Amino acid sequence: MTDVVRTGFRPSRVAIYGLLLLAALVYLIPLFIMLVTSFKTPMDIRTGNLMALPTDWTTAGWTKAWSEACTGVQCEGIRGYFWNSFKMTVPAVLISTLLGAFNGYVLSKWKFKGSDLFFGMLLFGCFVPFQVVLLPMAATLGKLGLANTTAGLVLVHVIYGVAFTTLFFRNYYVAIPDALIKAARLDGAGFFTIFFRILLPMSTPIFMVSLIWQFTQIWNDFLFGVVFASGDSQPITVALNNLVNTSTGVKEYNVDMAAAMIAALPTLVVYIVAGKYFIRGLTAGSVKG
Amino acid sequence: MSQLELRSIRKTYPGVAEETLKGIDIDIASGEFLILVGPSGCGKSTLMNTIAGLETITNGSIVLDGKDISTMEPKDRDIAMVFQSYALYPTMNVRENIAFGLKIRKLPKAEIDQEVDRVADLLQISDLMNKKPANLSGGQQQRVAMGRALARRPSIYLFDEPLSNLDAKLRVEMRTEIKKLHQRLKTTIVYVTHDQIEAMTLADRIAVLKDGELQQLGTPKEVYDTPENLFVAGFMGSPSMSFIDVAVERSETGFSVAVEGSDGRMLALPVPDYLKSWAGKRVILGIRPEHVSQPDEQKRDDSMVTEGRFTVEVTEPTGPDVLAVIRLNDTDVQCRLDAEHPVEWGEDADLMFDMRKVVFFDPESEKRIRPQ
Repeated sequence: MTDVVRTGFRPSRVAIYGLLLLAALVYLIPLFIMLVTSFKTPMDIRTGNLMALPTDWTTAGWTKAWSEACTGVQCEGIRGYFWNSFKMTVPAVLISTLLGAFNGYVLSKWKFKGSDLFFGMLLFGCFVPFQVVLLPMAATLGKLGLANTTAGLVLVHVIYGVAFTTLFFRNYYVAIPDALIKAARLDGAGFFTIFFRILLPMSTPIFMVSLIWQFTQIWNDFLFGVVFASGDSQPITVALNNLVNTSTGVKEYNVDMAAAMIAALPTLVVYIVAGKYFIRGLTAGSVKG
Repeated sequence: MSQLELRSIRKTYPGVAEETLKGIDIDIASGEFLILVGPSGCGKSTLMNTIAGLETITNGSIVLDGKDISTMEPKDRDIAMVFQSYALYPTMNVRENIAFGLKIRKLPKAEIDQEVDRVADLLQISDLMNKKPANLSGGQQQRVAMGRALARRPSIYLFDEPLSNLDAKLRVEMRTEIKKLHQRLKTTIVYVTHDQIEAMTLADRIAVLKDGELQQLGTPKEVYDTPENLFVAGFMGSPSMSFIDVAVERSETGFSVAVEGSDGRMLALPVPDYLKSWAGKRVILGIRPEHVSQPDEQKRDDSMVTEGRFTVEVTEPTGPDVLAVIRLNDTDVQCRLDAEHPVEWGEDADLMFDMRKVVFFDPESEKRIRPQ
């Protein structure tokens, strides 16, 4: 007992925790400012301190950002763009993750001649900068008749994401013993049965990694959104930019902050819900079980 | 009841110059327990995988009950396999693991339940049915893996080193259980192991492989007593047979070979008459530890038994007996001595050489010299 008390109050411990607390505070300050500002009135913002709590708590900024703020010529808030982002992100995340899982399965358990080379080349996809593919992709989407549509954006994100998701799943499946596949083949299971009945049920941790990674990437993407979507199909990141840059009269910081919070919320929620799997999936295989 | 014929099986991996299997011919009778044994890399696991259909063969044919199955898919071959790592499906419980193969084959549910229960009773795993493999001990996982194979009632069972992941005590227990199971079910089993004790205790017949070639195929007794060549003689038996380089000489009573101890003492060991044509030539004498022991009154009168006194270099007590090493013709020779009459290393000991069961090898071909 005395031991515990003594180690608890060692000066070095206090210093470490103090430093960590300080670092956490520094990182939390922007979030704090955004949150309090979003609940202030414009008057309050102009006269009060940046760090101070609102004198009048109001959700006016949030409702305006959601349904009334002007993004360019239209003044309907970011509501529609929020759903645009969902319509783009959810299918893109699911399709790229499933494709990655399938690729990973083939590249680890059904190797063909040149499959390692194929995988190596696919990995290059992780390092290609967004800007490089803009023009060719624009041309391709145009030919496919998908320019300026949500489906086109989904396609772009799926193509871009498959390199990452394949990498995740391939490395996860490589650690699974081949004997499992052999046993299933002798049990009479075919290519797809093995994938859906044996491997997929084992893939929860890496699925979470892939989902979080892809969701964050695609939801937060601005460049593809601003280039390949226009008007009604724009994602929220583009709308947020438009909202903040639309200047009519006085700058409404509370609306800007609320809109930014709305845009950031889904990724936050995904992290909170699936975060523990993220860590588990990333460390899977590092400890042999 | 099923009979399996392996006819000159050849296998070459792409990009590998040397053949992994160099024409293996084995007939496995219905209900037989055949063990494939050999050092790592001898091709035994490859051979097993080709029987299962998990790997293709380059040449030859695999015939099951008169039907050529060489090119069939694994699932169509009616063969079940137990893996070294057990390969249980981690997300399924024991019941689902055993039932998986039956479900894939679309058996009616009632039939599946009945079959799973039968197997569970047989292997005494009924109380584990709702557990996941991760919550089972090694021995229990092993049982489930066997249960999964048994449930389908296949024609042939393949066991790929099933006991090598278990600890020593459990390994002996499971060995006995597999033997009992085979005696009860009378199934045809092909079993791969690198453990020659497992091979000796379990097999009806043993196939010894080396470098993709069949060295000898025979009952455990045949393989142990009359090994075809130096490799088989050295591989089977623990501690292994000692090989002494000797010259065959004609003596007044027949033929003999002379051995010289580390202290310079000479002894003439009687050898059988079939070595007549080798008189004056060198041969390799293969002698097992149990053929060199402390003097035994009952054996003394046999003309093929002789005695000598040699210096013991090393002793290793094993419990029931003591393994001692003496040096004859500059070769270490293992002797199995009675633990009740201990010998210390460095001391001289009276030893009896029982030459009735020793074997001789041609130093050129390394093949055993057969009695004419």
